[in-house]
Amino acid sequence: MFDRNEDLKLVRRCKRGEEAAFAELLGRYRNAVYGLCFRMTRRAEDARDLAQEVFIKVFTLLDRFDETYAFSSWIFRIATNHCIDHLRRNRMRLLSLDGCTGPDGEPMEMPLPDNGPGPDRLLERSEAMARLEEVVADLPPHYKVIILLRHDQDLSYEDIAVVLDLPLGTVKARIHRARAMIQQMLQARSYEI
Amino acid sequence: MKAETQPPTPPDCRQTRDRMQDYLDQTLPKRESLAVFLHVRECGECSAQLATLQSLYEWLDGLPPLEAPADFDARVLAAVPYAAYRAMAPLRSPRVPVLLEHESLPAWVRSRSVRSVGLFAAAAVLAAAATGHAGGAAAWTVAGIGCSPELSVRLQSLSRRIYVATVQRSIPR
Repeated sequence: MFDRNEDLKLVRRCKRGEEAAFAELLGRYRNAVYGLCFRMTRRAEDARDLAQEVFIKVFTLLDRFDETYAFSSWIFRIATNHCIDHLRRNRMRLLSLDGCTGPDGEPMEMPLPDNGPGPDRLLERSEAMARLEEVVADLPPHYKVIILLRHDQDLSYEDIAVVLDLPLGTVKARIHRARAMIQQMLQARSYEI
Repeated sequence: MKAETQPPTPPDCRQTRDRMQDYLDQTLPKRESLAVFLHVRECGECSAQLATLQSLYEWLDGLPPLEAPADFDARVLAAVPYAAYRAMAPLRSPRVPVLLEHESLPAWVRSRSVRSVGLFAAAAVLAAAATGHAGGAAAWTVAGIGCSPELSVRLQSLSRRIYVATVQRSIPR
């Protein structure tokens, strides 16, 4: 998905102080990092601030980047840790169902579980996707991030192990558990996808 | 009232369900993958469960990509401390012994004109020696002196490069 050699060339140019190279790296990872931050927090404003902080962190820590790893793994590690720290700091605030915003910053309605069968429910793909997003958003942070890295960012198990600094076996176990949790949550809410 | 009990899952089914995610991730060894395939073909319940799981994979893979706000790049680029980063460049580059610093050679040795004139003089003397117009130790001495500024600069640069590469390789990651 991300070209490791191209990334490395850009990183080296960045280290030499070329602003254009950093702008190019930003262009490559902007949406991926923002998307991860948004899906972790479900708040457009928080996602924007977090993603911005991630890039500033990347820039200031660039000299400590170990070139034996992929730059993509490194930036996702920074983004993941940053999001999890943020969620930890704001746990109480995020438990509230009010005030969620969509990626465009507009207020977003968070549907509550509806156990009664409705004739129109889940007919539209977009509705089903919204429900899946809701379920993913409700996963505990460590499960949510692993699902997003695997399915949204398309990282391999090995890359995820590097990003999260976990043994491969733990990554596998956690992702299996996360998928099982999603299935259970979909079932509990009578959501069909 | 009699409690509803579910019939126990046969061992084959249990084993197959444990392996389903690896099967879909294509991380199962070939033999185990084949075993799952063959079991699912025969077992209606496991087949339905695999289909549900596969559908979940497809939905998760299909999460729509999100786009950062339009002003995102501008905000990041404005916040990145380029000036401070550049100002700290000398601290980031590895230190080399004084003898390998460019400035350790006198400015006149490093000057392009001196190096070029020296090389030209050396070449002229060597050409004269080759055609028999000059010869002996004097010609070689002049050629050596002429080449020396260029050789000093090149030798220092090469040594510096080797030193930096060695130091960087020895830094623990």
